[in-house]
Amino acid sequence: MRNKGRKWQGMAAIGLVLVMGLADVALAAEKIVIGGMYPMTGRGGRYGLDSVAAAEIAMEEINAKGGVNGRMIDLIFTDDKSSTSYAVKVANRYIKEDKVNFLMGVVSSAVGLAVTEVSKENKVIFVGTDHASTALTMEKFQPYYFRVSNNTYQSAAAAALYATGKKEWKKYYVIGPDYEYGHRTWEDFWMLLGKKRNDVKMVGQAWPKLYEPDYTPYITAILSAKPDVLVTSFWGGDTVAFIKQALPYKLFDKMKMFNYDAGGNYEVLEALPNTLPKGLVLSARHHNNWPDTKENKEYVKKFKAKTGRYPSYAAEGAYAGVYFIAEGVRQAGTAEDSDKLVAVMEKMKFKLPEDPPGFTSYMRPIDHQVVQVQAIGETVPNKSFPPATMMLGNWKIYKAEDIIPSAEEILAARKAAKK
Amino acid sequence: MDANLVAAQLFSGLTSAMTLFLVASGLSLIFGVVNVFNFAHGSFYLLGAYFAYQVVSVSGIPFWPGVLLAAVGAGIAGGIMEYVFLRRIYGRGGEAGFQILLTYSFILIIDDVVKMIWGTDYKSIERPESLSGPFALGDLSVPRYDLVVILVGILVAAGMWWIIRKTRFGRNLRAISANREMASCLGVNVPLTLSLVFGMATALGGLSGALSAPTRTVTPGAGIEVIIGSLIVVVIGGLGNFWGAFVGALIIGEVTAFGILFLPQWAILFSYAVMALVLVFRPEGLLARKGSA
Repeated sequence: MRNKGRKWQGMAAIGLVLVMGLADVALAAEKIVIGGMYPMTGRGGRYGLDSVAAAEIAMEEINAKGGVNGRMIDLIFTDDKSSTSYAVKVANRYIKEDKVNFLMGVVSSAVGLAVTEVSKENKVIFVGTDHASTALTMEKFQPYYFRVSNNTYQSAAAAALYATGKKEWKKYYVIGPDYEYGHRTWEDFWMLLGKKRNDVKMVGQAWPKLYEPDYTPYITAILSAKPDVLVTSFWGGDTVAFIKQALPYKLFDKMKMFNYDAGGNYEVLEALPNTLPKGLVLSARHHNNWPDTKENKEYVKKFKAKTGRYPSYAAEGAYAGVYFIAEGVRQAGTAEDSDKLVAVMEKMKFKLPEDPPGFTSYMRPIDHQVVQVQAIGETVPNKSFPPATMMLGNWKIYKAEDIIPSAEEILAARKAAKK
Repeated sequence: MDANLVAAQLFSGLTSAMTLFLVASGLSLIFGVVNVFNFAHGSFYLLGAYFAYQVVSVSGIPFWPGVLLAAVGAGIAGGIMEYVFLRRIYGRGGEAGFQILLTYSFILIIDDVVKMIWGTDYKSIERPESLSGPFALGDLSVPRYDLVVILVGILVAAGMWWIIRKTRFGRNLRAISANREMASCLGVNVPLTLSLVFGMATALGGLSGALSAPTRTVTPGAGIEVIIGSLIVVVIGGLGNFWGAFVGALIIGEVTAFGILFLPQWAILFSYAVMALVLVFRPEGLLARKGSA
């Protein structure tokens, strides 16, 4: 009898495993699985953690309303360590083992360029958030890639329009981190400004290494060149360090500082309470106090409630990514058929917290780059988002269609890259 | 070239040099006496910066006592790392490999601990009121705070010279550096001395971090750039040589500062070029001498 009991026990266990396996398969087919990759350690950690939190908010909102076509959204995240080789491994694991429907991320453009190759090979859609190199939508474009936050070309184009209007800005000095992002951000701007103004000139350039802790030797060099405008293509902590070190030299009394891509990120504003100077001209991919709409306020409030802090711009990119995917699946009626999804997504409109009244972000078929309004502001006293004591204000708004590369430019760039 | 500009650049080079020296001298001291290459040394710079943030900005302790506390805190953390972990690998076969693994892993551990405690946002400490302004130099100005950093660097260098050359503790250090077994036979308490040296050296790193906190970015990961800079400095000066770190830091600080003044677009090149030249013509470092910690 004892033996028989054992046998039954064994059978029951096997049966249970089988049933559980089936249930698991059934669940997996039910859910829309998004494989997220963000840095969660080191310098990009803030961007990654903010992205994860905002993506979760989007997921909770969508699932609370019953999901998409009756299917729930499921997010999985892995720290990509800002490493290309590691992120490629994670992306492959997501596709082959976790059977994700979509890839989403990443902060570093270098990692983005690597992951887009995995996406292309496996025909799994990769939704880019935050990383900004124009190359991904221009020269290195592949049909399964979409980017839901603006690229450096868009912020550079808005900046060129801003600078065109500043007649007194004639002598430019540029300082930025010595890698693709730093250079590209400046080059796009300078090329576009050159088309509008022939009375501007560059009086100097400096390219310290990324994460350089000490900018003081550069600051004296900049002061001695006496530019009207100092363009900085720093992001994050490098902007913070540069401002801290330039302050005692009274650099900001002697020239305008212009950082149009990432300088206006909230993490920079909050890092310098009481000391951030007035009148810096900055922008970012999302602003906590612009546009002044119900949607944006709600989004910022929810983020603050969840994390206890105000979001940096990366967060809104990830939030947008989840909504973009959800809307695509809803319209295409599938999360599995990538080609059908691409056909829908590349013409899709989707409303985001950063959209001003009367505008809805949309995707462009030619480059799968989201088309968005860009706002550039100046630092002004504003204590509504503590610990920051300055926020951006005196906004200049640039129409989405005025700051995107034309189809001809894109095709020409792709042709040139093939040679 | 304007004389004021040259002077301003000289000061900025000196400031960088002193910040580097504080980290690199500790790195060199640990290598010279403990015979460990401490990859995690930059992380004590990071800890010093966060400790300073904690005691000055959060707890409201005045700036200078706060900086001192931060340095002591980093030193205690360093002493613990030596006592609990490093001590276990001394003299093991293939020790170098274990050293690299262990000290490198501490970079990651300390970074993550910092992130868990203080989060990922950038922290700020304000300079003391009396030092927040500039010091006029013709139509250019030099931050007053930088002058104090230079002064602290020189005082520390002098103090270390006194400790190493004139005290009993210093004599023990030199003895251990020359021959650990012999020193032990002659009654030097080697394990205790090693812990103290490690603590002292990491306190110097912490001091550098605390002093830099008002002018640099306090963020997880900030230790990495510092350890790279210090590595260049000790290679130039001679690994394990305290004064080598001083000379190396001065060379790197000033060469970088003046290089940037004349050729800002080649900024990254200078310190590596100096290192390459030293490696070609004097690979043991400018001031290398055996047993001269």
